[in-house]
Amino acid sequence: MYIEVRGKKTYAATGGKDFDSSLPTVMFVHGSGLDHRSWALQTRWFAYNGYSVLAPDLPGHSLSEGDALESIEDMGAWLAEFLRAASVDKVHAVGHSQGFLDVLELANQAPELLKSITGIGTAGAIPVNPALIEAAKNSAGAAAEMLLLWGFGPDAQFGISAVPGMQPIAIGREIMARNPLHADLVACAAYANGSAVAKTIKVPAQLILARKDRLTPVKAGMAFAEELGASVTVIERYGHMLPIEAPRQTLQKLRELIGALESSH
Amino acid sequence: MSRSSFLKPDTVALHAGYVPESDHGSRAVPIYQTTSYVFESVSEGSSLFNVEQGGHIYSRITNPTVAVLEQRIAALEGGSGSICTASGMSALFTVFITLCSAGDHIVSATQIYGSTATLLKHTIKRLGIECSFVPVNDKEALRNAIQPNTKMVFCESIGNPGLEISDIPAISAIAHEAGVPVVVDATFATPCLCRPIDHGADIVVHSVTKWMGGHGVAIGGVVVDGGRFDWEKSGRFPELTEPYAPFHGIRFWEEFGPSALAMKMRAESMRDVGAAMSPHNAFLILQGIETLSLRMKQHVANAKALLEWLQQQDAVTWTNYPDMESNSSHALAATLFPDGAGSMLCFGVVGGRSGGAAFIDSLELASNLANVGDARTLVLHPASTTHSRLTGDDMKAAGISADMIRVSVGIEDIADIKSDFARGFKAAQRVAGAA
Repeated sequence: MYIEVRGKKTYAATGGKDFDSSLPTVMFVHGSGLDHRSWALQTRWFAYNGYSVLAPDLPGHSLSEGDALESIEDMGAWLAEFLRAASVDKVHAVGHSQGFLDVLELANQAPELLKSITGIGTAGAIPVNPALIEAAKNSAGAAAEMLLLWGFGPDAQFGISAVPGMQPIAIGREIMARNPLHADLVACAAYANGSAVAKTIKVPAQLILARKDRLTPVKAGMAFAEELGASVTVIERYGHMLPIEAPRQTLQKLRELIGALESSH
Repeated sequence: MSRSSFLKPDTVALHAGYVPESDHGSRAVPIYQTTSYVFESVSEGSSLFNVEQGGHIYSRITNPTVAVLEQRIAALEGGSGSICTASGMSALFTVFITLCSAGDHIVSATQIYGSTATLLKHTIKRLGIECSFVPVNDKEALRNAIQPNTKMVFCESIGNPGLEISDIPAISAIAHEAGVPVVVDATFATPCLCRPIDHGADIVVHSVTKWMGGHGVAIGGVVVDGGRFDWEKSGRFPELTEPYAPFHGIRFWEEFGPSALAMKMRAESMRDVGAAMSPHNAFLILQGIETLSLRMKQHVANAKALLEWLQQQDAVTWTNYPDMESNSSHALAATLFPDGAGSMLCFGVVGGRSGGAAFIDSLELASNLANVGDARTLVLHPASTTHSRLTGDDMKAAGISADMIRVSVGIEDIADIKSDFARGFKAAQRVAGAA
């Protein structure tokens, strides 16, 4: 569906069902250079099993209008405006990689909008190699290649796909090469509030990490989970792109946490 | 490296799409000879049907062995995904029927395989889909032929049997200017020699029966979605951008982006047309692909050596090979096919049609049959077989003459191929002399 945020047409995937703000809502926030399609194999399940789903494309990404936002802090503020524009009171917020930093900032700026937070393939800070930022400045396509090479785990590098017949590396390349990857990476690299925000978070939190993650190594994720007081799951064999590489395992962990919280209400 | 994999093509050919499975550690890709797959629960079955998760339901739609082949070919071609089908012709039909509806239009090169020409000219016409034919690489004719209802431009990377080279970058530029995707049948080249997506094409089709399989033991086809075409921006494809009623109103472009076409073909054509590849055939074709690059090197080397030898034979009236120096497509072939423009060549023999027949009938090593791309050398007389359904004018437009011999040069020792052909030339010369 499309809604207007900051005067710009904004796309949000709803998992194949019309959005209904009266249902428990799960919001999925994509990582650097990506879009709602990262969540194709999680959003539909939630939408068809009693939840409403919002998976926005951040400004300037894929189907959303506007310029890319320049800081994680602004992305957090934008997410709050997006949720208010969608008339949502509270969400379970799920973020992949940079998307989780956005969720942390949402928690910092508008904690009243959150029921729980989940970070996938992430940490409290995501340092970015300056060479990657420089590459992205010159060519989003070249930087996308570097990210895809480091981002996907060994099985995906051997052409294994959770969706029969598809090649996630080529799909990722197409999406990232067209999106404002440079702005995202700069914002990611500059973000330093993670630890401070972690101390303020009151809602249940979990991290789902990947053993073969070369972009946000497990060690960094585990350390941040401790700061956050979050439960942690480490999925073996897979790399940074967990929602795409290991969609079933990722969905299972999301179902467990979100399902348990909803059934306790 | 292709757009789909960081591995080198020879490694992709051996490994892409499969890692040894956990239960038994089978190093070779197993043959999943099954029609269907047990659901863990009713809820899991429901989620598979609703595309809430990836997985297999029924082998008409997907099969694990076939999926390995699909992922391997997508990686070789640099596509976002691919769909294997029962044959090359069903792959073409799948593309046509996925992108076109009654009232739509296709622009095709004239110089294409006879059965494809028949499909475009007659069969899909009955479904209300029209096709205009233009000489391949005639840029003005192509530009003029594109209409508001045109859904694709179709060509073969190397034409069958005339061996014309399609100028894929130029064709793609003209088509894209009009918001129309380019579909290339790349059967004669294989991804070892030319990857059309790298040159601007949007969709690649193969008959994998040919060089990809390479052993003449299994029929199959594949459609590779290049993943780069912007179906929304084009404005010509409500099939991909508007809600699709049979699937809860899914919008393929919104939902899947770069794999929208592949997902639509899977969801609709495999379900409704059902031209599925068998798992056993997928396994056989995988065996062929593992050695594809080695075979293609030998195919090309033999084709070039045979061509050179043919040009010295008195019984040969003319020869044709795409990157022959005297060929007008030589420069284009050198650009698009730096490692050789395949292993098909054509020539004429003395004695015309009857000389050609005498040549073919006297061969002992080469086989006279309606296939190409086998590891063995194959010969055919197109005018009386594959293209016999065409009218005289259509045959001429397709670059076929009555004396044409089509050769799919195999990987036998070149000395034995020459020796066999020498026997054939003596027979042709006897016929020509008697006349």
